[in-house]
Amino acid sequence: MKVTKEEVAYIARLAHLSFTEEEALKMAGEFSDILAHFDNLSQEDLEGIDLYPFEEEGMRLREDQVIPFEHFEELYRNTRSMAGTAVKIPRVVD
Amino acid sequence: MDIAKMTIKAIHTGLENKDFKAEEVTRAYLARIKAFDQGIGAFLSLDEAGAIAMSRGIDEKIQGGEAPGLLTGVPLAVKDNLCTRGLKTTCASRMLEDFVPPYDATVVGRLRERGAVILGKANMDEFAMGSSNENSAFYPVKNPWDMTRVSGGSSGGPAAAVAAGFAPYALGSDTGGSIRMPASFCGLVGVKPTYGAVSRYGLIAFGSSLDQVGPFARTVEDAAIALEGIEGFDPKDATSVEGRVRGGYTASMLSGVKGIRIGVPREFFAQGVDPEVKKTVLRAVKRLEALGAEVEEFSLPITESGLSAYYMISSAEASSNLGRYDGVRFGYRTRDYDGFEEMVVKSRTEAFGQEVKRRIMLGTYVLSSGYYDAYYKKAMLFRQKVRRLFKEAFEVYDAVVSPTVPVLPFKLGEKTQDPLAMYLADLFTVNVNIAGIPAISLPAGFSEGGLPVGIQFMGDHFEETKLFRIAYALEQDLGLNLVPELKEVK
Repeated sequence: MKVTKEEVAYIARLAHLSFTEEEALKMAGEFSDILAHFDNLSQEDLEGIDLYPFEEEGMRLREDQVIPFEHFEELYRNTRSMAGTAVKIPRVVD
Repeated sequence: MDIAKMTIKAIHTGLENKDFKAEEVTRAYLARIKAFDQGIGAFLSLDEAGAIAMSRGIDEKIQGGEAPGLLTGVPLAVKDNLCTRGLKTTCASRMLEDFVPPYDATVVGRLRERGAVILGKANMDEFAMGSSNENSAFYPVKNPWDMTRVSGGSSGGPAAAVAAGFAPYALGSDTGGSIRMPASFCGLVGVKPTYGAVSRYGLIAFGSSLDQVGPFARTVEDAAIALEGIEGFDPKDATSVEGRVRGGYTASMLSGVKGIRIGVPREFFAQGVDPEVKKTVLRAVKRLEALGAEVEEFSLPITESGLSAYYMISSAEASSNLGRYDGVRFGYRTRDYDGFEEMVVKSRTEAFGQEVKRRIMLGTYVLSSGYYDAYYKKAMLFRQKVRRLFKEAFEVYDAVVSPTVPVLPFKLGEKTQDPLAMYLADLFTVNVNIAGIPAISLPAGFSEGGLPVGIQFMGDHFEETKLFRIAYALEQDLGLNLVPELKEVK
């Protein structure tokens, strides 16, 4: 499986990352090697396997509950900029 | 009190008998960390004030006549991807360099309730992606047994902290071997519990269907005590399982291995395994046989394809989980940008390290239109096959044994330029996460050069009891001395 630097550029756009030409070329090479190794899965007999055969026993979703969170100072200390109780972000729509 | 050799059990007994105070224990560990950690890099941050205050409070209670629990007043190191309220939790990434969580992970909260003393946050591969702990954005972790070698990853910090005698136990996380591998490289006991046995609430997500929190310790008994302290149902984690965890390992592990059936999958001892690793592990298996276990070779052909499936599934989940880091609400935000889109792309590109970006890219690739069926879907189908093959194996055997890692601890920098070679180090650990089963790694012996070799036992879902039983019997029989000599760094 040969991966091109154009494919790397396309995937980078989907992943919200950017790479220099040199980085993209290096990654294309690495991906070609990794995906060639991954090809061993094609040798596996996967006929008749159900993708979602079971639900985990004992796992369950709980009902939603409203619990007031009072530590606003702690909660918002990680934000870059605030306007009152709202998080300020750069303009999205012109 | 020789602090480097202390166990949870010894500290507990000492506190109970009032031989020493919890504050003395905490101060002794902090002093040792200051003397030696500069050369190792096990910690990213320390909470000296919090640790001393906590241990003082414990001393007052003990003086007041309160009987300490097994973990009360006992210090530990916590991997830096577990949220600690008021303490920086960086995931060893520039992205979360200043992140201070407003809440505790459930496992951290449970330990705090039991009076545990958190010494600090331990180093790791960035976002838990790596097998050598060289992917930390801050500094790598060196192996206390040989400082020119890696600690293993991704929980290299917690492992090195326990191996170096900076704490009697530590919490790590294991997505594809991230507890067992550094446990093997650092000569420790490491447990990856059954998926759903330990809460993931407050564990910063990497591969959500694979991640599990577990302990590192110097003895099997300590690992059992630590696991009992964190496991059990948590309504805050929808994948937490109710009513299946057995507990009581410290009592049940004493019953020996007579009649225990152990399967030896020949594919896990085939070509590619270092001869010294193979010899040491097989020698330990022979000891178990001498102790009365029934040992039999069988075929479990999953290693190579399992590794491929693991890297596709974990990278796909990582690409989704790490989508939240966009510089908008929290985490790193780039300085100069023109518009929203550029802010997101530049923030992510500048703050994520090379390996994290590689995994996000790989995950996005296998999930993208046109490749989904060829890669991701096949990986998910193979995942079901692995589960089935393990189930079949556990109809015959109580546990399956293998080397934890096919190679000995390698040199720093040896594999950093070859991602595929690095991924191959996870060959024997990843299938455990794919199947969601528990596994334990413990020291089987040392190489001729004095490097630790780990042996891994895998069990059926929620059969941790059997794994502790086997591990304890082997540990008692081998009687290894497990504290490396460290050189002080001035």
